[in-house]
Formats: sequence, C-alpha cells, structure tokens
Amino acid sequence: MRKADRIFGVIGLGLALWCYLESRKFDYMTEFTPGPGFLPFWVGVALAILSLYLLFDTVKRKPSEKDGKKLLPEKHALYRVAFIVFMLFVVKFSMNTLGFPLTLFVFTTVILAVLEKYSLLKSAGYGIAYAAVTWLIFEYVLTMGFPKGFLGI
Amino acid sequence: MDVLANLMGGFATCLTLSNVGYAALGAFLGTMVGILPGLGPSATMAIILPITFGMDATPAMIMLCSLYYGAMYGGSTTSILVNVPGEASSVITAMEGHQLAKKGKAGTALGLSAIGSFFAGILGTIGLAFTASTLAEFSLRFGPAELFSLVLMGMFTIIFVSGKDVVKSLMSMVIGLGLGCVGTDIVEGKDRFVYGISELLDGIDFVILVMGTFGIAEVLESAEEFMKITPMKVKFSELFPSLAEIWYCRWAILRGTLVGFGICCIPGSGPTIASFLAYGVEKSVSKHPEKFGTGVLEGVAGPESSNNAAVSGAMVPMFSLGIPGSGATAVLLGGMILYGLKPGPMIFVENADFVWAVIASMFIGNCILIVMNLPLVPLFASLLRIPYGLIYPAILIVCIVGAYAVASGLFEVGLMLVFAIAGYFMKKGGVPAAPMLMALLMGPMLERNLYQALNLAHGNVLVFVQRPISATLLAIIVLMAIFVGIRSFRGKKAAIEEAEE
Repeated sequence: MRKADRIFGVIGLGLALWCYLESRKFDYMTEFTPGPGFLPFWVGVALAILSLYLLFDTVKRKPSEKDGKKLLPEKHALYRVAFIVFMLFVVKFSMNTLGFPLTLFVFTTVILAVLEKYSLLKSAGYGIAYAAVTWLIFEYVLTMGFPKGFLGI
Repeated sequence: MDVLANLMGGFATCLTLSNVGYAALGAFLGTMVGILPGLGPSATMAIILPITFGMDATPAMIMLCSLYYGAMYGGSTTSILVNVPGEASSVITAMEGHQLAKKGKAGTALGLSAIGSFFAGILGTIGLAFTASTLAEFSLRFGPAELFSLVLMGMFTIIFVSGKDVVKSLMSMVIGLGLGCVGTDIVEGKDRFVYGISELLDGIDFVILVMGTFGIAEVLESAEEFMKITPMKVKFSELFPSLAEIWYCRWAILRGTLVGFGICCIPGSGPTIASFLAYGVEKSVSKHPEKFGTGVLEGVAGPESSNNAAVSGAMVPMFSLGIPGSGATAVLLGGMILYGLKPGPMIFVENADFVWAVIASMFIGNCILIVMNLPLVPLFASLLRIPYGLIYPAILIVCIVGAYAVASGLFEVGLMLVFAIAGYFMKKGGVPAAPMLMALLMGPMLERNLYQALNLAHGNVLVFVQRPISATLLAIIVLMAIFVGIRSFRGKKAAIEEAEE
C-alpha cells in the first residue's frame, strides 16, 4: 500500500498543479464574492497539502501489514481486467461504424469466448441473445436512438 | 396530525396500478441485486437511473427506493446460503446466518431475516415520516450561510464517520469538488476545465461518475477471478421460523431498528456500519455472548433489522436537508435533481405530493418484499447458479446504454470508462469513491451558497460565524476534526508502543 500511496500522492500533486494553473485564468475575487478562480485555487491548495502529507506519511510511517497489500492484482486477474477495459473502449470507438446491436454482439462474443472460455458457437449464441434483448428494450421499446452502423441497424 | 394527513395523501398518490407495479419491479430488481454478489445497490441504481429519464419523478423514485431497500432484503440470502455477502451490509449476516444454515436452520435464518427486515422497514419508514418533516420545517429558517455550513458539515461528516482513511477520503472529496468546477461557472459564466469540448459545458454528469466508479469499477474487481458459487438448498416448508423464535428475537429486531435508523440519520454512516453496530449491541446485551459466531438467532435478526431501518434513516437528511446520507442516497439525490426537483427543506413545500408518495410507497414496498422474499427465496437462490461470467457482460452493456442515454453521445461513454479505470485503482488503493461523488453533487451547491451568502453580507466573511446556526454547524466540523485527530494520534502512539515492545 506504501507504493500505492506514493503513486496517489504524486497524482494528487499533478492534479493540484493543474487546478492551480486553471484558476490563474480567472478572477480570484469580484467586488464582494468569490470569482470563478476561487474554488479551483483552493481545490489545488487543499489537494497539494493532502498529497504532500500522504507522501510524507509513506516515508515516515513504520511498515505495517497494510503495506504488504499490492496495488495491482495477480497477472491473470490484471489481464482479465485489462481485456475487459480494452473491449469497452473498442465498443466506444466502433459503435458509430458497426452500429449498436452489432457492437454489442461482438463485445459479448469476444468476452465470453476469450475470458470465460465458452465455445465460439455458444459465445456467439449468447452474443446474439444479449444484443437482441438490449436492442428490443432500449431501441425498439424505449427508442433511445443509438447509432446505426454501415448495416443501417 | 399533519404528518398522518400528508401520509394518507401519499398513499392516495402511490396506490395506483402503475406506481405499485414500479415498486414491485424495484423490489424485484433490488432483491436480485442483493442476492447476486458483484454489484451493489448504489451501482445498480446508478445504472437504472438513465433508463428512468423518460418517466415521471414519482414512479421513478418509488422504483429506485424499492430497489435500495430490496437489496437489503436480498443480501441476506447469499450470506446465509453461501457465506458470501450479497452486499456489504450483509457481512455480519454471513457470519451468523451461515452457521445457522450449517446446523440445518437455513430456512429459519432466512425467514427471521425477512421478518426482521419487514418490521424494521415499516418502523423505519414511520420514523422517516415524522423526523424528516420536522427537520425540514426547522431548516426552512436556513439562509445561504447556513446552507453553506450545512453542506460543508455534511461532506466532512461523511468522511469522519465512515471509518475509512481520513486523508484519502479528503483527497477524494477535494477531487470531487474539482470535478464540480468543470463547466460554466455561476459567477461570471466562464468556462472552467472545458478546453473547447462542448460536451463539458454543462459540467460532468454525476450519473457518468457513479456508473464508472461504482458500477464498472465494481464489476472489474469482481471479474478478476472466476466466481463459482454452490448455494445450500432450502425447502419452502422450512422457510418460516416458529412463533416462539420470532417472539424470542423481538427485542433484537427493535434494538436493530433503533440503531439502524438513528445511526443513519447521520450522513456517512450507511447500512454497513449500522449492521456492525447492531451486532455489537446484541453481543453486549446477550446473556451468552460467547455463543456469537456459532449461529445465534439474535445475531441475524438484529443486524438485518438495522440495515433495513438504516435505509429509512439515510433518507432523513436526504429529504429534509438535501444532504445524502450514503452513496446510495447520493444517487437518489442526483436522480431527484435530474427529474427537475430541488432537494432540501423546500421540497416538503414545493413538491409535497412527491415526497409523501415516495414515503408512503416504502410501506407498500416493504409489504411486497416480505411477500416476495419468503416464498420466492428458493427461486432467488437458484439465481446464484447462473455463472457470473454471463452476468457481468450484461451489467457492462447496461452501463454503456446508460452512459449513452445521458446525452445521446459516445463522449459520455468514454468519460465513464475513464472514471471506471480511476475507480478501479481507487478501490485497489483504498481511496473511497463516495466522498468524490458527494462532492461532485454538493460542490456546485456549496459554491452557489458561498457566493450568495457573501453577496448578501457585502463580502463580510464573518457572516458564517455571526449567524448562530451556521456557527454551530462549523463548530461541529471543528469538534469532529479534533476528535478524529486525537483518535488518530492515540492510535499511532499505541502502534509505536506495541512495535517497541
């Protein structure tokens, strides 16, 4: 956890600097009231103080049981998580091209086949079922207006 | 007497076929969510929220509230049958309930849990009806200075009471305040943190943050490993505890109700803390505390009652003050804002029909849940046999749909994924996401009230300590900070002394 705290501390400092730089573009105060730069400035200051405290604490504190806990999971678990995130981004970037139901079909089929080790046929079957039910509820009944891809669906 | 008259009016509004239907749907979804490990009530409500956009506020809130306390009912099923808590507030039930199941008393544990939850839900809702309206009436005296101090106190209470790492919780809160700055500011109409992205002009929708950090992040963590669950079988005939067993647990149910409701009126507590406290109370008043952990009836009845009463308790600050008492009530509060309502004391004046209909629906929802949970437990338990590998892709799909529905665009889907990655690592690093969500919701309110208070006082900063209610609220924050600081210092000192020994 010590390593994780250091990483969060550094990220916190980065965010603090970002907030401070953003606050400089606006007025800190108007005649009576805080200006648009007031809150971002103090967010930056508070975040900087807290991040420095966290970093200082990781140096000063004695090792404890918590410090043995890893930030990242085991390799196989990390692979699963990373793969799911990758597929979610694939959905985001391909939906305009492939269209809503086809994207969800590909997403479900790949996830089930690669991660859950279902056969390709079974994965495709579930993929069709999930895509069809989702399309039926959200596009046909609720008319949410999802992107239509090159197939026009 | 006003309360009773208002409640009758609420029943008149909510006792329509569609509203009762939505209550039943919410109860069913909540029970399923409670049963299935890997997804909590907050995440599910966040996922369902965009789908309710086209609905009226009243049935939407009825469904979401039913979902919330339905999850408390459902969580005990997995805890008792599988020793895996369906959601966090059922951890204690897993400890005692599963031991009872091993003794062949799974049905008794399930039945007692449902009955205790029912009584606690009804009593808690009565408490909500009387407490929220009284508190709302008192808080009508609040001006911008008081509201600023109240919001600040609410945010700090959530951090100090939750028991999580204070520094990391504060960081999470401050980041949430920063996220709340994104968009057009209220003072000069300037665009902050927008960088020419038109989708950010209205700020970051809290639904995106919740679905990412609560919904998808939770799914990612659960999906790390294959989850194989083999629940114990329960026959319908074994489900009902005897009258003697129910009578034996009557005081445990009442104590659990009082603990759960009272604790969760304080923002930040939540049903999980309530259930642990109730267990501690039962153990301390028991004539045989050594038996706790081996399967005692009070060890199930007390905590299960408290986590249901906690739902009503958490709604007291939400309805009366506009301050969310927990992550789940933060989602409910956000929903109310999305439906065009103004949470806070004025809601009892401007939208009284809505509030009393929702409160009345909680009575109906609890009745539906006891009917649903007792005879249908064997059916719900069979859901546990569905491989989690088939469930989480469906959850992710619903999240994508929900994010798209917010603004009919894929930008929000991308933003949700960014928050999901951040939320996942925050979970791993022990940084709670709830303060960030609360700050995103409350930050604009905080800024607006600060602006209005200083404007009215012509820039006099002392207005916050000159007004008695505001000064009292700020003093509470200082006292809490001192108390937490002393406790932390003593904890560190004890740890150093232990290490030296």
